[in-house]
Amino acid sequence: MATTTATLRGTVADTLVRPSRSLWSNAWWKLRHDRLTIAAFCMLALLVALSLAADLFADNVFNYSFSRQDLLHTYEKPTFSNLAYLLGTDEIGRSQVVRLLYGGRVSLGVGFVAALVNLTIGVTVGLAAGYFRGLVDDVFTLFVTTLNSIPTLFLLLIIAAIWQPGPFTLTVVIGALFWTGISLFTRGQTFALREREFVVAAKTIGARDRRIMFRHILPNILPLIFVLAAIDIGAIILAESALSFLGLGILPPTPSWGNMLTGATQYFVRAPFLVYPPGVMIFLTVLSLYLIGDGLRDALDPRIRG
Amino acid sequence: MTMTQARTRRALMAVFAASVLVATACGQGGPSASQEPAASASAAASEKPQDGGRVIEATISDIATMQPILVNDTASGRVTGLLYDVLIQVDAKTGEPKPNLATFSVSQDGLTYTFEINAKANWSDGKPVIAQDYLTGVQAVGKSAKTVRKSSYQDVQGFNDYKDGKAQTIEGIKIDSSNPKKFTVTMAKVSCPALLDIANTYRILPTHVFGKYLTATSKPEDIDNAPENTNPQVVDGPFTFSEWRKGDQVILKKNPNYWNGAPHLDEYVYKVVANTAAVTAGLKTGEITFGTIAARDLADMQTVDSVKITKYPSLGYTFIGWDTQSNVAGVALADKRVRQALAYGLDMDAVIKAVVFNEAVAHVAHHVAVQWAYPQDTSALNPYKFDKAKAQSLLTEAGWVKGADGILAKDGKKFTLTISTNSGNTERETLAQVAADQYKQLGIDAKAAPEAFQGLVTKLTSGDKTLDATIIGWSLGSEPDPYQIWHSSQIPDPAKNVTGFGFTYFKDPAMDKAIEEGRNPSNGDCSLAARRKNYDTFNKVLNEQQPYNFGYVPNVLAVSSKTLQNFNPAPFSTVYNVQDWWIKK
Amino acid sequence: MRTFILRRLIYAIPTLIGVSIITFAIVRLSPGDPIRLYTFGARDITNEDIEALRRVYGLDKAMPLQYIDWLSRVVRLDFGQSFIYHKDAGSLILEILPNTLQLAVVSLVLQILIGVPLGVVAALKRGSWVDGLVRVFGVAGHAIPAFWLGLVLIIVFAVQLRLLPSQGMLTVGRDQWDLFDRLKHMLLPAFVLSLTGIANYSRILRTETLDVLGQDFVRTAHAKGLHERTVVFVHALRNALIPVVTALGGILAALVGGALVVETVFSWPGIGRFTFAAAIAKDYPIIQAGTMIASVLLVVSYLLRDIAYAVVDPRIKVR
Repeated sequence: MATTTATLRGTVADTLVRPSRSLWSNAWWKLRHDRLTIAAFCMLALLVALSLAADLFADNVFNYSFSRQDLLHTYEKPTFSNLAYLLGTDEIGRSQVVRLLYGGRVSLGVGFVAALVNLTIGVTVGLAAGYFRGLVDDVFTLFVTTLNSIPTLFLLLIIAAIWQPGPFTLTVVIGALFWTGISLFTRGQTFALREREFVVAAKTIGARDRRIMFRHILPNILPLIFVLAAIDIGAIILAESALSFLGLGILPPTPSWGNMLTGATQYFVRAPFLVYPPGVMIFLTVLSLYLIGDGLRDALDPRIRG
Repeated sequence: MTMTQARTRRALMAVFAASVLVATACGQGGPSASQEPAASASAAASEKPQDGGRVIEATISDIATMQPILVNDTASGRVTGLLYDVLIQVDAKTGEPKPNLATFSVSQDGLTYTFEINAKANWSDGKPVIAQDYLTGVQAVGKSAKTVRKSSYQDVQGFNDYKDGKAQTIEGIKIDSSNPKKFTVTMAKVSCPALLDIANTYRILPTHVFGKYLTATSKPEDIDNAPENTNPQVVDGPFTFSEWRKGDQVILKKNPNYWNGAPHLDEYVYKVVANTAAVTAGLKTGEITFGTIAARDLADMQTVDSVKITKYPSLGYTFIGWDTQSNVAGVALADKRVRQALAYGLDMDAVIKAVVFNEAVAHVAHHVAVQWAYPQDTSALNPYKFDKAKAQSLLTEAGWVKGADGILAKDGKKFTLTISTNSGNTERETLAQVAADQYKQLGIDAKAAPEAFQGLVTKLTSGDKTLDATIIGWSLGSEPDPYQIWHSSQIPDPAKNVTGFGFTYFKDPAMDKAIEEGRNPSNGDCSLAARRKNYDTFNKVLNEQQPYNFGYVPNVLAVSSKTLQNFNPAPFSTVYNVQDWWIKK
Repeated sequence: MRTFILRRLIYAIPTLIGVSIITFAIVRLSPGDPIRLYTFGARDITNEDIEALRRVYGLDKAMPLQYIDWLSRVVRLDFGQSFIYHKDAGSLILEILPNTLQLAVVSLVLQILIGVPLGVVAALKRGSWVDGLVRVFGVAGHAIPAFWLGLVLIIVFAVQLRLLPSQGMLTVGRDQWDLFDRLKHMLLPAFVLSLTGIANYSRILRTETLDVLGQDFVRTAHAKGLHERTVVFVHALRNALIPVVTALGGILAALVGGALVVETVFSWPGIGRFTFAAAIAKDYPIIQAGTMIASVLLVVSYLLRDIAYAVVDPRIKVR
């Protein structure tokens, strides 16, 4: 990795850690020419924008709030005649298309926030374990091995079933379960980096451990962590939708792409058109995230020439 | 393309083709047909029942046990009820006690019940059902650690001593020395619910099978973990146990020695399915012989030719319970006028139409119309017909006036109302929403708040005062005694960690007295007429005070395959005549 | 090898203890009262009865005591009596376990049968639309929500085409040993479970095959008269063994977790659905037993994978 240049500048200035230009501009160039990743990014941006604009759409275009029921118009087939019925109505007459837009908020919101919690825990713990080694690392290994021995999704579903937490608690719980992969990766990278000259140099001039971890090591790992983050968010969105589908995550009337399908087992014979949209949205969102993650990884891989 | 590529492609196509063939071959069987196919029925309905055939009933949850004393859920109850017969039954349509395995009579002072078991009654292995078997059942309840039925026998003389280990026999149960099928049960005090509690049960166990678990030295685990609990080979009901595939289905076969006449059906299968949609789907395809559907699926089901739909009122009601001591809304709900306003202010007809497609009847007191305890003079009860103006005036009278923001307020406090209900139940969620919308029009800041069932149950039974109003339902049994729900002793106390079902915190001395008299009458008169008098007072108080908005009594929509004959479900029982059912081929 | 296995088994012990602590804590520290829930409908049940039941199930003691009590029994393979079924929770789970294992095995077979050829074909046809499709699927396969796919497949195959059953393990009236009927019921859920595996394997095989294709020895073998196809297959498969075995570990975790959701959608009576239902009903012994057994399975499968890994020695990989 081209951190040597950074090292020299870092030692001299003691506060600056500027990444080498060649890796970054290389990565950026690769990204700009990776059409698939750009497309994925645009898709994700579109989905986020739609979710954020849900209010605007609901009020001005569809004239229907997400919780409005109309028991005289249940299971309406999708039609262009009434925009609110664009994707049909569900078992109590709520507009699918409006709920789909709001559902994005929940699914994306939980995804990003939980991923943030994930990253915070995972990176911090991984850095500490990789940097300090010894006892800290042993405890870390024991804990992570234990956590990894219980199937994660299974554990999440059981916890949700027993504790039946509200949405915020749930987000935190999800965040607290999916961090092991990130921490293992961070730890591995920290192992490698701590032997490097710039760390040794920083130590020599008396920099504190915390500073070394967060100001010197972390910035070098960060881009790769973003790759993990993208995949992480995708996995979390899938987990949350499974939870909501089972009736445990986000509860109606708040729509989430998962809980829009909770009743699917009730109505898939009568109204199959209700089953497809939420799943497609989840799929598109997670797919874009995975493609972005893949693209970022390829871009940052120095072995792959642009 | 190269040779290799071509060959690979061909190989792959071959594999693909083969797999398609396999898949379609597997599917040649067509939709899983489970009964004998209904061949073109010979036109004239042959009146003579035909033997043979299988009935499949669907359930959402698997059974837990087939031990009568441990049954605590509907699924287990259904299967166990088909294996073990009840001592006395209640009329399926009226709920009045009637003989079954035994005839019964009560002494003048109301303390002693005499039972005589039918001479024909016998177990599937040929041995006769005798009084000792009844005693074995009661002893089993006494010895068991896991049963929830001990309170059913608490008034039987000597039962408490037996269950506490202080006595080896139950002195209140005496078997006639000259007739092993005759016995008496003496109570410590006159208790009207006792008759059904001690006799409308299938807790009669074959002594020659279970006696060994109930000796003087037996431990509670002996009866609780007996292998015959999950593999009952000696039974006295219309069916015998064949197989239990956990999580999937229970298979019962007909009992040719059934004392009340061998059933025509060969098999009764109790099958676990995913959810109510699977039940509905199964009813349409004929995979399921009978079941109930939700009101919203009625229109769809009526288009299906192969099924017949029977409607009858259910034995229970869905209601909104007002917490008169709630932290937020209690100040309003404690006032009777407010509660009455909430009754007048809810257009129940519109609600019933919207929520259950008109398949329900509005309800204004506790007992339901099919119960004998229901007031015969219905004009005594106020129907609370929708009257927005009256509601408004009652609220004003109680001191609630609309503020500038349109919300009712009194002494600076706003009338906020959160209506909770269990999530996952669309009917109740819709009801909550509709009610909230209607109350908003009265000026109440109302909103619906679904939450998980477990948490809700815990909050209710512990008397959690963060709840304002809760939509939930009661499923009533054959015994109309409302003590557990309405007596003041059943009001929870969060401070002392006492739980109970009286979560409205409502109490009334006249109502208490009526309940007590209906339960333990001072004059010992447990006749239906005497008890009904008390319940008239009881229902009047509730009707007037409205601690609940009594909501509605939904109809049960029973759907059955047209090939199933003699199927006549009624409010109190569906399978009371299962031995007469037959499949027309 | 033997020391390796022994060492891993010993290391597994503190892990399993850790799992037991987590399992126990999650279950017992949760809010709500299982006894109250269980006795909700029982008429006239008194508070004394409820307290008595609490004592019977050992729920009245202090938490650490309860844990030690439970752990000491678990070591003797006694998982405690289920609140609902009144039978040993462990034996209940073990009775149902084969159902999930069947699904897992069929799923693994499908993963390999479909994933491997897909990857090889994609590599052989590099740059074509087939390749593109497989590559997209390699990523997309992970992005499809399993429960949704299950629903869609049910709509297509069970409702509209009426080719396959929509739920359950056997048709009513068919014998337990009717393999045909059982396979019919297993096909859809096993397929849904195998999706991520297929995506993984197709990717791995594609990479390995591409790798192999670019090697000199292929041309050498060709010159020697060996069929290119044989060479490619044999070497690609052999080289792919390591990453495939590595991928197995992650897939097993996904199987146990994903099985829960798939079992629910298809009403398949497996341990995932069983434990989940127990979790909703707060049947503590079953939840604890189910989680412990699932974890033991996972640890064992990781061990097997590592052994397989060691067997598939890198030296065998031909370059």
